[in-house]
This record gives sequence, structure tokens and C-alpha cells, in this order.
Amino acid sequence: MAEQPYGLIATFDTASGVYHAAETVRDAGYKNWDCITPYPVHGLDKAMGLKRSLVPVFSLAGGIGGVIAGVGLIYFTAAIDYKLILAGRPFFSPIPAIPVIVELGIALSAFSAVAGMIVLCRFPMLYHPVLKSDRIISALDDKYLIVIEACDPMFSPTRTKDLLEKLGGLDVKELEA
Amino acid sequence: MSTHAASAPTAIAAAPAPAGSNASKALGIGIASIFATVLGLALPGNASAVAVGWLVAIVFWTAIAIGMLMLIMIHHLSDAGWSVVVRRQFEHGISAFKWLLLLFVPLLLATWLGKGDAVWPWGNLNHVLHGTETVGEDAAYWHKSPVLNILSFSALSVFLYGFLILVSARLRKASFTQDVDGDVKWSHQSHATSASCIALTALALTGIAFFWIMSLEYHWGSTIYGMWFFSDCIRGALSVGLLVQLWLFARGDFKGILSSRHLHCIGIFIHAFTAFWAYVAVCQYILIWSSNLTEETFWYNIRELNHDGSTNQWWWVGIALILLNFLVPFLLLLSYKTKITIYKIAPVAFAILATTLLDLTYNILPVLKNAYGDAQPFLSLNLLWILTSVIGVGGVCVWSYFKSFASTKLIPIRDPRIAECLANHE
Repeated sequence: MAEQPYGLIATFDTASGVYHAAETVRDAGYKNWDCITPYPVHGLDKAMGLKRSLVPVFSLAGGIGGVIAGVGLIYFTAAIDYKLILAGRPFFSPIPAIPVIVELGIALSAFSAVAGMIVLCRFPMLYHPVLKSDRIISALDDKYLIVIEACDPMFSPTRTKDLLEKLGGLDVKELEA
Repeated sequence: MSTHAASAPTAIAAAPAPAGSNASKALGIGIASIFATVLGLALPGNASAVAVGWLVAIVFWTAIAIGMLMLIMIHHLSDAGWSVVVRRQFEHGISAFKWLLLLFVPLLLATWLGKGDAVWPWGNLNHVLHGTETVGEDAAYWHKSPVLNILSFSALSVFLYGFLILVSARLRKASFTQDVDGDVKWSHQSHATSASCIALTALALTGIAFFWIMSLEYHWGSTIYGMWFFSDCIRGALSVGLLVQLWLFARGDFKGILSSRHLHCIGIFIHAFTAFWAYVAVCQYILIWSSNLTEETFWYNIRELNHDGSTNQWWWVGIALILLNFLVPFLLLLSYKTKITIYKIAPVAFAILATTLLDLTYNILPVLKNAYGDAQPFLSLNLLWILTSVIGVGGVCVWSYFKSFASTKLIPIRDPRIAECLANHE
């Protein structure tokens, strides 16, 4: 038995062709697929049914963590571990803690935004089956590609191929995994 | 760059719907409210309260206009694409400076013709400070008297307004003329105007913050005060700009022009300047708290404690500012959905305008003292004069906006970047 292919690849000549094809693929219910275009096509994310990135959630979690860490750090050092009487001020006051809270909040939210991006993109990705296809070269220039992965629950070697051909996809071929 | 934005959809941008009835309505409400404010002068011993309320209103609307002017200049300097459409609304807004100058004159007249301390205590050498000495006996006053005297102050105020009027007129003329001839030289001219005037405008708004507001307690100084005022200016201008765009969208003029991307961009700016306000306000507070010097802490003490050590109402206003001017809008605006959903962002913009007014009130109104030298309570008749003044001055500013609005195109149809702005996608 031949090895399961990575998926099907189809070429489109125009941006509007790939745009409308993407809408139909989206409406057909496919989840694991992608468009490859030489430049960002406006509105293609909507045509593909892509949701907004989850990076802000990572960033928010990091920011909240930073704020808690900042308060904790100042409270522990100033009010528990090393009490110093300074100009009659309280051991712990939120006011001198603010710079630490702000800096830690910003730093950790930035770090976790970068980390979240790396995780969500599944970096480091040293190899991708699409790169094996010759067509990736023309997709960096003037062609548009749609790749539907075989791991998609809707995927079928024949029906998916028919769909892509019906949408105007040229030269629909299987991609080696 | 082509000289004409050939791809701009000129058909949708014909002269906007008549604004004449709106303009006269705004002016009518404004004048009625100014009249109500004047009635307040009839109450015995109330003149100072009315004058200080009037100052709050003038500062509030001037701050919004300055914020609009700064945003126009930042737009030109960064050669931005997304903000071309909202820039035109700001250009209408900055037509109000000449009327604001006219409305500022009564404060100068009250200072010249009265005892001099109708608003600013240093205007009267016999004004009693903190129950002991007078301004004339105060060495600190004489040190600052070269600028803090009625003549310098009046000249400086008129000069600052004059500068703002001239810069605004130049930017407006360039933009409106480009609508007609489509010449790209007007964009280049506005770049040059902005580059040469943005630092001067920053100095002008710092001057306004120092001379009109900070000098109310002339013993006190805060070098960051201009930046605090700047943050109020920008937030006020952004909120008004956003609400005007939503109004035009609801009316139908901005259908097909305003996209969620525009709302997102302006929402990001409001969010950033909400954080900026907190940053500046907290800087000022931390430095004064840390150094703990009597000549600085008294400014906050007036706003927290009475002479007998009891907490006064201004303490609660301060807490409300932290929560409502920073924390709540900051958390709400974190969300993308809040920024692009009209019924969510509009209340936030209204709330920010209200808390900006509260912030200015917090900085200005405690100059009114009672017999013990304590700040007069926040909840008092003084708020009524602020309200009538804000509506009065605001009515005139809105009238000025409508007048300008009717005189030109809805959007800058021949701006070289208009197509980029209209096709602004995420």
C-alpha cells in the first residue's frame, strides 16, 4: 500500500480565482488547508474563514502574570523578607510598586506574545511537504495555490480532487508527504 | 506619486447634507447655556465659582481642539493612510480656536476689571494665602512675577491662541484647496507646516497647562504637567473624532467609507493614550510621594484632606479617576471586539470625554477654597456652572464645526492617500 499523501495541491492563475475557490472550500467544511499566494490578498482570511489569532490571549495571560509577579516581588521583599523603615512610610505601599508592576507586566506580556506566536505557528518547522513541490517557486511569483491536507476529516482523494477541479484548479496533484 | 487620486470614488463624496439647522440649533443651545451661566453671577459671592467653572469649560474644549490639531500634524508627519477620512473631521474641529479665544476674553476682562483674583489668585497682591500672608508678601510670588502678572498673562494667552489659529488656518486651507485642484503640493506644504509647528504646538499646550491650570496654585510645580495635559487633549480629540464618525455613519454619509479597520485603528490610539494618561499621572504622583516635600505634597493634600485631617470629597474623585479614567477603559479596550463594535465603543468614547472633564475639574476646581483654606467640596453648586459653561462653550464649538462641515467636501477626495484610506483592510 502506498504511503498516505500529504494532500492535494491545485494552481490558480488569478487572485479572484483563488479567492472564490477558497470561499467554496471553506463552505464545504474543510479545516486543514491553506492558500499560498505571492502577496497578501485582501480579504482572503475572511474567504478562508480564518478566525482571529489567539496571540492576544497569550499576551493577556503573560501581562496578568507579570502584574501578580510584580506585586508579589515587592510585597515579599519589602513587607516580609527585609523590612526597612524608610522615612516613616508603610512597609508595603502600592505606589512604589507601580513601576515594577508596569515593567513586569509589559515585559511578560511581550515575551508571552512572542512565545505564543512561536507555539501557534508550530515553530521551529524545519521541513514542510509543500516545499518539495516545484510549484512553490511560481507561487512566490505569479501563481496562487490551494493545498488541502489529507489529515482533514472531509478529505477524500477523489471527491476533494473533483471539488478543486470544478473550482477551476489547474493541475490538481497529490503531494508527497 | 500621481497628483490626482484617480481611483477615489468621487461620486459618494459630494457636498454633505445641509448642516445649517444643526449649526443654528447648536449655537442656540450654546448661547442659552452661556446666558444661564451669566445668571449665576447674580448670586452673591458666586462670581469666582462661575469664572472657575468657565475656565474648566474653556480648557476642556481647547484641549479637544488642540488634540485634533496635534493628530492632524501627526497624520501628516507619519504620512499616514488610514486616517485621511477622520482628518477632515478634525480639520472642521480646529476651526473653533478663534471662537475659543473670544470666549476666553471674559476671563481676562474679569481679571483686569475686578480685583484681579477672580480666577488666578496671583492676580491680586492683596489676596490672602492660606490664612496668613498675602500674595504681595510672598517671596515665591515675586520670583515668578515676571510671567505671573496680568499683563504678561493676557499677552501670552492671546499669543498662544493666535499661534493655534494661524497653524490651524494654514492646515485647513491646504486641505480644502486640494479638494478643488487636486495638487499634491498642498500635501507637501502640510508636511512642512506640521514638521515646523508640531514642537511649537507642544510648547503652546504646555504653556496653556502651566499658565492657566498649574498657576492656580503657583507655589506648586510639576514639570510633567504639559504631558498630562497633552494626554487629555489627545484622548478628548480621539473620542470626539470617533463619535463624529459614528454619527456620520448612522446618518448614512459614511456608509461604504468607514470600515471596522478605521474603528480598530482609532480604538488602538484611544487605548494607548489611556495607558499614557495613567503613566504620566502616576509619574507625577510617585515623584511627589517619594520625595515627600511639603511644597509639593500640599497640592495632593488639598485634594485628599481637610485642615482637620478628615478625608474630603476630592479623595473620592481621585479614586474615581484611577478607576474610570484608566482602569475600566483600559480593560475594556483590550478587546478587539470592543473596538470595532459600535454599541460598545460609543459608550467608552462618551465615558472618556466625561472622565477627561472630571480630570480637568480635579485639577482646576480645588482652587476655590472655604474659610479654613480647604478645597470647596466637589458636590456643590460649582458643578452646575461647569455644566452650563461646558454646554455653552461646546455649543459654540459645535456650531463652528457645522459651519466648516457645510463649506467643503465630506472627505478629502483628492488627497493622494484617499484611495489607500478607503481600501483600508486588516
